[in-house]
Order: sequence, then C-alpha cells, then structure tokens
Amino acid sequence: MVEELKNLKKFEEMVISCSGIGDCRIGHRPAVGRFGVCPIYEHTTGFEPSHARGRMRVLAGLLEGKLQLNKEIADIFFQCTTCGSCKTICHNSYDPCINLPNANWIDHVKVWEAFREDLIENEFVLPRHKEIIDWCKKENNPYMEKHKDRVNWLKDKKIPDKSEIIFYVGCTESYRLHVISENILKILEKANVEFGIIGKNESCCGSVALRTGNTKLALELAMKNMESIKNTGAKIVITHCAGCYKTLKNDYPDIVGELPFEVLHITEYFDQLIKDGKLKFVNEVNEIVTYHDPCHLGRHSNLYESPRKILQEIPGLQLIEMKRNRENSWCCGAGGGVKSGFPELAVEIAGDRIDEAKEINAKILTTACPFCLNNLIAGAEKKNESLDILDITNIILRSL
Amino acid sequence: MNILKSLEDIVGSEYVSDAEFIRESYSRGINGVLEENRPDFVIRPNNSEEISEIVKIAYNEKIPLIPRGGGAGLLQGVIPYKPGGIVIDTTRMNKILDFNENTLAVKVQCGITWGELNTFLMEKGYYTGNVGPQSGMSAVVGGGLSHNSWGCGIAKYGPVTNNCMGLKVVLPNKNGDIIETGSTASKYISESFNRWGLGPDLSGVFLGDNGIMGIKTEATLLFYPRPKYHSCKGFTLKRKPIQTGLKIFLNYRKKGDLGIFDASFIDDVQTQLMSIQFHPKMPPIFAAIKNVNPRGRAMLFYVIEAESQAILEENVRIVDEITENEKGVQSIDFGSGEGNIAKWMYEKNGHWQISHPLWGTLGPGSIPQSAEHILPMHQLPRIQEALSAWVKVNQIKIQSVGAIASTGGEFGLGNHTTIATPTGLIVWNKPEFRKLNEELWDSYLEALIKAGAMPYMTGMRFSRALIRAGAFSNQYYNFMRDIKKTLDPRGILSPGKYYLGIYGE
Repeated sequence: MVEELKNLKKFEEMVISCSGIGDCRIGHRPAVGRFGVCPIYEHTTGFEPSHARGRMRVLAGLLEGKLQLNKEIADIFFQCTTCGSCKTICHNSYDPCINLPNANWIDHVKVWEAFREDLIENEFVLPRHKEIIDWCKKENNPYMEKHKDRVNWLKDKKIPDKSEIIFYVGCTESYRLHVISENILKILEKANVEFGIIGKNESCCGSVALRTGNTKLALELAMKNMESIKNTGAKIVITHCAGCYKTLKNDYPDIVGELPFEVLHITEYFDQLIKDGKLKFVNEVNEIVTYHDPCHLGRHSNLYESPRKILQEIPGLQLIEMKRNRENSWCCGAGGGVKSGFPELAVEIAGDRIDEAKEINAKILTTACPFCLNNLIAGAEKKNESLDILDITNIILRSL
Repeated sequence: MNILKSLEDIVGSEYVSDAEFIRESYSRGINGVLEENRPDFVIRPNNSEEISEIVKIAYNEKIPLIPRGGGAGLLQGVIPYKPGGIVIDTTRMNKILDFNENTLAVKVQCGITWGELNTFLMEKGYYTGNVGPQSGMSAVVGGGLSHNSWGCGIAKYGPVTNNCMGLKVVLPNKNGDIIETGSTASKYISESFNRWGLGPDLSGVFLGDNGIMGIKTEATLLFYPRPKYHSCKGFTLKRKPIQTGLKIFLNYRKKGDLGIFDASFIDDVQTQLMSIQFHPKMPPIFAAIKNVNPRGRAMLFYVIEAESQAILEENVRIVDEITENEKGVQSIDFGSGEGNIAKWMYEKNGHWQISHPLWGTLGPGSIPQSAEHILPMHQLPRIQEALSAWVKVNQIKIQSVGAIASTGGEFGLGNHTTIATPTGLIVWNKPEFRKLNEELWDSYLEALIKAGAMPYMTGMRFSRALIRAGAFSNQYYNFMRDIKKTLDPRGILSPGKYYLGIYGE
C-alpha cells in the first residue's frame, strides 16, 4: 500500500511527529480565547479519526502497511473542512517566549490535502466531488454553468481587460453571488480606481480541485489563469473570494512558481484606499456588527485585521467580537469540499457560528468569503434565526 | 453472542465500532514509539448506566475493558496490553452536572477536559486550583484522578485527587454495580461535598488506581476563586544551582503559606539546551532567554497569587528575600515575551505544559518519553546519581537509537516538601528502534524505582516496572491483588497493569 501513498509519503515526517497530546480534539485555553478546535469532532460520532490526532494515527497505520485504504477511511478524510484549527493549536505556545518545536513543523492541512491526492489517485472519490471536478475540467467552474456565461453578470457593463489592477472575480461571484461583484465594482468606481477584469479568459482558480485532492486539474487551471493574468499586465490582483485569495496567493507560488504580481484581498485593498483617502465613509451605519473570520483568509493566510479596520472606520457601526475570533475562530463548516460532499454537516456546523453571534447580541454577522456567507445563511435558516448575514461589501456600500 | 450487536443495543450503532481504522487509532497512546495493540471494539457511552451495561457483557464474556479519557497519558495507560478487548472512550461524557456555589464544588462527568471545566469556571471567577495534569488541558478529569495528576497549581492546591470529594464508579463485577463514594454514599446526604467521614475513604481506592479498580464516571471537585492579583518572577542561579534551588524551595515551605501557586526550576544545562537549535527546521525552544540570561545560568520561576495587592506585595517580599538570600541568585526583570515562562504559563497558556517543548526538539519525529515522578526535595541528588549511573551503563544502546537521556535537571515544587521531575528519554519515532526503545525504557523506569522515585502516574509501563523491580512486599502486593479481585472478580478491567487481571500473569 505504501507505494500507493506517494503524496502522503512526502509528509511522513509530519505524520510521525504527532505526539498525540490531543489539543486538536477539543483544546480549551481560556487565557488566550481558545474554546474548542475541531468542528468535525463536535458534529460527528467523535471517534478518534474524527479529529487530527486520530487521523494522524490512521495515516501512520497506512504508511506502516497496517491498514489498507477503503471507502470508510476516504469518507472520514473528506469530512474535514481543512479549517486548520488543529494546526493553529498544535503545540502552540501563543507566546514568542516559548517555541514548541512541532508547531513549526506539522502542517496538518498539507497532510490532509496530500492524502486526498492519494485517495483520488486510488479512485476513492465522493460522487458529488466527481461531478464537480468533471464539470470543472470541461467548463472551468464548479457550478454546472457554461464557461461562456462567466461574464453574464456584467450585463452591458464594459470593463477593460488590461490594467495594472485586475479584479479576479472567481466562480461564486461570477455565477452565484454576483451582487458581491457588483458591489465591488461600485466601490472601486467610488474610489476612482482604474481597474480591469480578466473576463472570459478567467477560469476557476483551482481551489475546489486542490482541496479535494485533484492537483492535476488545479495545475491546469492555474496555468490557464497565469497566462490570462499575465496578458492583462496586472501588477496587483485583487479578489474577494477567500478561496481564490488563498489559492492565488499561497498555492500558486508552490505549483506555478513565483508570481509576477501581488495578490491582495479586497479588504486589504480597500483598507489601503481608506488610508490613502480615496475611499471615504459618509453615511452612518448604526448597527452592531460581528465579523466571522473565513479560514482561508485567517488561519491559512494570517489576514485578520483589514476587514476589522474597515468596519471600525464606518461611522455609527459598532464592531463586537464573537467569543472565538481570529486564529481561534470557529470554521463555518463549508470548507474543504464539505459543503458539497456533506451538506447537512456543513450547515449544522454553521449553526454554531449563528449561536455565537446571537450570544453577543450582534445584529449583523458579516464575513468576506462567499462560501462562508452562503453557509452561514443556510445555518441561520436551519435554526430559524433572523440574524442579518451580509457580505462585508454590502456594509461598506451602505456607508459610501 | 454477537458482541457488536449487544454493544450497539446499549449506545446505538453510531457510537460503537469495530472498523479496523478506528481500532488502529485507539491502538496508540501519546507515545508513538512504544508497543501498540488494537482493541476489538471501541465504544463511546454517554453515562454510567450505559457503562454498567457494557461491563455486564464484558464480565459474562470475559472481555478486557480499557477505559480511556483524553488519551494523553505517557505510559500506555489507555491502550490494551494485548490485542483485543473493548476500549471505552469516555470523552462523550463531558457534562457539568452540578455547579454548587454553596459548597464550592462542581460535579462533572469524568470525560470532561480540564480545559472545558476551567473555561466554565473561569467565566464565573473560579478555577479548579490545580488546572489539569502535566499532559495539558485537553486531558480529562477521569484521567487526572486515575493518575493522581500533578500540574499547574500543584504547589498551592496539591495533586488533583486532593480536591476530589466524591465519585460515581461502575464496578467491573457481574452486575456492573454503580456506587457513589464520599458524602453521597449516605442516602441521607444529597450533596457531594466531602470525601471523609462515612468510614474508610473508599474514594481513595479509585484515585490514582490507573483505571484498575473501577470505571470512574462522575466526580465532584472543589473549585476556588481565582485570586485577583498575581506576580510571576524569574531568577538566575549562579552557584551550585540544583542544591541552591532545592534549598530555596524548602525554605519557602518552612515559611508556611506564601500564596505560591507554582514554582519551577531549570538547571543551567537544560537552559542552555533549550536555547540551542538542534535541527534547521526547529527553532530553539527558549531562544528568548538569551537576552536576559546570556550566560545560560540555571533559572527559577514562581507564581504567587493573592486576594489583595497588599498581601501580594508582602508575600512577594518574603519570597524574594528567601530566594535572593542565597549566594549567586539574581532576579530578572522581564515580560512574558522575553523569557518569563511563569508569566507565559499563568497569563497566556493557562498551564505549564513545561515538558511539551520537548516534542520535536531534536527534529521531526523526536518524542520524549517522560517518567514524571515525585520525591522529597532532598532526595533529588540521589536520583540524579542513580540515573547518571544508568546512562553510563547503557550509553551504547542509547547512542544506537539516537536517544538523549535526561537525569533530572528540571523540577517543580509540589505539595508540601515534594518536587516532581520529568526525567526521561528523548527518542525517535521509528519502527526499527521500537524494540530497543522499549527495552531501554523499561530498564530506565526500573532504575528510577530502585533509586527511590515515586511515580505519580504509572500507566501500563511504570506499573509493570514497579512489580518487576520488586518495589512491593509480598504482603502489600497480595493485599492490592485481593482488593482488585473483590472489585473485579474476573480481572477484566485494564488487565496487565501491575501484572494483574485476566491475562493471568
């Protein structure tokens, strides 16, 4: 079996470095605001392989030839949202005074994703993931939409296809939540920013493929996008989708090499526009708002402050924090292919976040990721909660 | 009898498994370098009654039962001694059953973690005093009680078992009897608030029992107000540091109650080792210390708590006077990011987890086998001498597996005049080294026992080493075996520990 685990084998040292303390199960450290770790552990039957330590044990068993791959194992590993909460707490001292060495060494998400590659290569794939990936191969998006319709959201609006600043729209904002893309265009126009989009030459960033173990497809998509972006003359690529951001910024350099452009999340870019005096908030937004950290932005990319800074700049707006925030934030449940593979589980986890927002009496729960947004809305619907769940661009627009 | 079906009937099919990959994940303890055995079944019950039903099946079918909590023990306490049996994963039993501010006691299910419990208590201004065992806050209450665990707060509050006022226990007998110990053993007492007074302290039979006498399902623990004021300080020690450190600790105790929550000592060798980068991928554990302790001297830290600033200042004055009265001792002025690990522990981490930095010290896959043990302060030099002798004899074997042996350069102040020291081996998690690691480890533990160390947790490994080393008289061992036999007539619970139970050793 070992030879069939060639991707996991590259991470064997990480697997055997897991000492098994088990903070990745349900670690609480009240002193630093850490209350729980693994949403899958808390929302499934909770056997050891539902969280990182048990998974590492299973992988060790596979690498030592004690276990054989099977569907049950595959399902458990596809159930992970790859939120990275386990990586964040693993041997984390939360203080530069003490460095706990394994914290610098074990990258759990990389291990899970490498193993998913092996699962795919060994033909263990979730039926829904297969449909999505097959479609993505054909039409460059995971939404069962035609590639030619990618720019339909623009209607008659003309945006240049060459500019130093390129807005990478992403599949969700092109096909599903194009209201967010429209918001972004309005905000950029208000700030008098000259920008372009890739348009019909934009493909899925490859995040869906990477998270579900389809690295070859991710590489193909990345190559296409790199070619398209280069043709725009971009020096800065801005994007709203947290998944696209993580993929472009963190994964592309690994799979296609150094990028000839800078990747910014729109909240980073807007924060800069505010500092430069190009974006000014004029209308009061008298709301109590809390911000949900998307895992792709937060734990995966260390981007915590720019969304908060923007919200704090809005007159009248009161930003309050949920009990679990920043690196200790609770995943919405949608990531890592869980939303498509295990939709009920994803929505159930989102319900936790709704509860947290309600606990602090927030009136608006906002975020900066379309996947989180959709899943949080579904979570609130399932709990029959009336909480307003808005993308951050909606709130920004109300104040411009 | 279809065991799986019978277990499913008790907890529902979703909470019991015989899947190979699940059993594999329960075959390993915290230490990946030692022997592994898979159970036949893993079950996650929800309450005492379900456990009682599981016990009945195990009793009738003579199936070993292995209770498991957070799985964070270092000495194989939670894995089967031989392949087979039923692992009872108690972590689903994590509810707070009664929070009583009249008795300042909280009744919990034993699968709750110290972290979960203290999160609940700290929101109300309280804590458990001893905040969980050395394995950290993800360990569970049941495990701490089974091991007499030490940990953060030990110097003030004693081992976690000191704060246990009563238990609910499922006995491993024919009927899976459920008993309560402590005050609620009397049907006329409704509150669990005190452990002593109704005759022999039968809670004590199950405290520190390493899971061999009964399955603890509920426990009542005292809780305490978390004091509003604290001081975290550090000192360097220049001359004869170990002797000086021990003398300082003893002098603290001779002055009585000074509000010392914790105190810890690291010798010069350990301090210097912790600031070395052994592996290019692993930054040094304690690099920050170089700025305030550039010569790498031994260090002593303390945390003092008090209810008022005035009391704190007075206690700090006395403790500092005791400490700095010794030649070559200097206080260090630093913050938590600058190497003050006491401040880090108390204000940020909430727990020492002082041994945890050792994981990965030498590089990926390096694992510490720690044999934390208790001794009177003045006995430390004797233990160190014995361990040094052991290292000398076993040097070739140690080198052949690339291990490092520790001989006691770190110790923490315990209750009264005790200290605990986490000596052990740092070894490599490689299957080819496993056999020799085990051989070395067993030999190391026996050497420790013969030198007079008292393990506070024994698990499988230390418990067997105690017997092999002949630590107990025949009369004592027979007494222990007779009690075990009374409670567990068929020897089904945690067999193998102390060479007791179904395997007939």
